[in-house]
Amino acid sequence: MLNLGERSDPNVEVHKFYGGAVLAVCLLALVFQAFLHKYGRWSELIDLPLLVTIYFGVSRRNPVTGLFLGGTIGILQDALSHDNPIGMYGIAKTMVGYLASSIGGRIDTEHPLSRFGLVFCFFHFHQIVLAITQRVLLNHSAPLFTLRLFLDSLVTAAFAVPLFALLDRLRRPS
Amino acid sequence: MWPLNYGAENMIDTYSRHRPLALLAIVVVAQVLLLAFQIKGEHDVRLIRYWAVALVTPLERAGTWSFSKVGGAWGGYVGLRNARAENEHMRIELDQLRLRNRELESQAAEVARLGALLSFRNAHPEASMLPAQVIGSSADPTSHTLFINRGEHDRLRMNMGVVTPDGIVGKIVEVLPDTAQVLLINDKDSGVGALFSATRTHGVVRGSGDPEPRMDYVVNDEKVQPGDAIVTSGEDRIFPKDFPIGTVESCKPSNPFQTIRVQPSARLDRLEEVLVLLSQQEVVFKKQEAPAAANAPAKTAPANPSATPQ
Repeated sequence: MLNLGERSDPNVEVHKFYGGAVLAVCLLALVFQAFLHKYGRWSELIDLPLLVTIYFGVSRRNPVTGLFLGGTIGILQDALSHDNPIGMYGIAKTMVGYLASSIGGRIDTEHPLSRFGLVFCFFHFHQIVLAITQRVLLNHSAPLFTLRLFLDSLVTAAFAVPLFALLDRLRRPS
Repeated sequence: MWPLNYGAENMIDTYSRHRPLALLAIVVVAQVLLLAFQIKGEHDVRLIRYWAVALVTPLERAGTWSFSKVGGAWGGYVGLRNARAENEHMRIELDQLRLRNRELESQAAEVARLGALLSFRNAHPEASMLPAQVIGSSADPTSHTLFINRGEHDRLRMNMGVVTPDGIVGKIVEVLPDTAQVLLINDKDSGVGALFSATRTHGVVRGSGDPEPRMDYVVNDEKVQPGDAIVTSGEDRIFPKDFPIGTVESCKPSNPFQTIRVQPSARLDRLEEVLVLLSQQEVVFKKQEAPAAANAPAKTAPANPSATPQ
C-alpha cells in the first residue's frame, strides 16, 4: 500500500546490502557518469551519482551515513569532472544524502510512484543547492528552475524507478 | 543529584538528537571552505582569503579601535598627569626666573646708577668725591636724614656735601667710625644757599618738614615761574656753585617774601648711592654734567666754568 507523505512505521526496516555492494555501485555510478559524459546530453540528463545517493540514503535511513555517503560521492564526482571545483557537487549531495536518509525513515520509499516523486523532488533540491552554491561562490548565474530542468527531472525520476528496483536485488534478505 | 542528572541527561539527549544535523553542518561547511580554497575571485585572490580577511578585518578594526581609544584615554590621562606636573615645575621655574629677572634688573639699575656716579665723578676730577651707599634712614618721620656706609675711617667730616649727579642731597651732620648721618635738604633744619639759574637772584632753600623744601628770601617783585631752575650759590661753602638743587614747583606772593616750593632735582625718597664731596675748599666745576643738565629745565643757565664758590 502506498503511503506517500505519511510517516512510516517507527520500526520500519533498515535495508542492508551485500558486502561491497554499496561501494561497487557508487564506483560504477561514477564511472558510468564519466562514461556518459562522452555522449554529452546523457550525462546532463541523468545524474547517476545523485540517484545512487538517494537510493542508499533512503535505504540505510541513517542521516550520518547518508550525508557522508552523499558527500563522498559528490566530491568524487567533482574530482572526476574537469572544471568543477571540488565540493560543488559534494555540498549538494551531502544535503541530499542527509535529507534522503531522514525522509527514508518517515515515509514509504518502496513504491515506484513514491520513488518517482522522491527522485523528482531531490533532483530539484539538488539543482537548487547547486545553483545557490554556484551563484554565491562562483558568481555564476546558474538557473534554479527551467523547463529543461523540469523535463530532466522527469526523465531522471523515470529512470530511477527501474534502477532502484534493480538495486533492490543487492539487498540482503532480512 | 536529580537536577544535575536531569540536566546532563537532557544535554546528552539533545546532543544525540541533533548530532546528525551538526555533522551535516560540519561537512557542508568543510566543503564550502574547500571550495573557497579553490575558487579565485577578483584579482586572482582565493575566496577563502577574501573570507578570512572579511572575517578578521572587522575584529582587527574593532581591536585597533579599542586599543586606540583605550590607548588614547590612557595617553591623555598620563599626558594630563605629566602636563600637571610639568605645569607645576614650569610655574616654579617661572617664579625663579622672575625672581632672577628682578635681581638682574636691580643689578642693572644699580650698575646704571653707579655708572652715572662714576661718569659724574670722572667728569669732575677737580672735586674729590667718595661714593657711598645709603644704608638706612631716620626712624623719625618728621626728620629727613639718612645713613651712609662711609664714616670717619673714610675721612668724612661734618658738613661735607652729599650729592648725586642729579643734584644736591644734603650734608653730613654726624660722623661715626664707619657710618655717617646725612641731613637732607628737605629737613626742617637744613638750609642751602641758592640762586635762580636764569636771574641769579639769591635765596635760601630750606626744609619745611614736607617732601618739598621751599626757597626763602625772594622778594615779591622778583618774577618767578614754576619750572625755574634753582642752583647752589656756593655761599655756604658746602656745595660747589651752580650745582642743581631743583626747580620751582609753585610760587605765590606772601609777606614779606614769596612762598616758593621747590621740587628737588635729586630723588630724595629713592636714594641708594650718593657722592660725598670730600673737599670743603672752593671747587670749580669745569662744566655742568649732562644728567643734571637734562633734569634742569630749558631756562637753566649753562654753568659758568669760571665761577668759583663763595
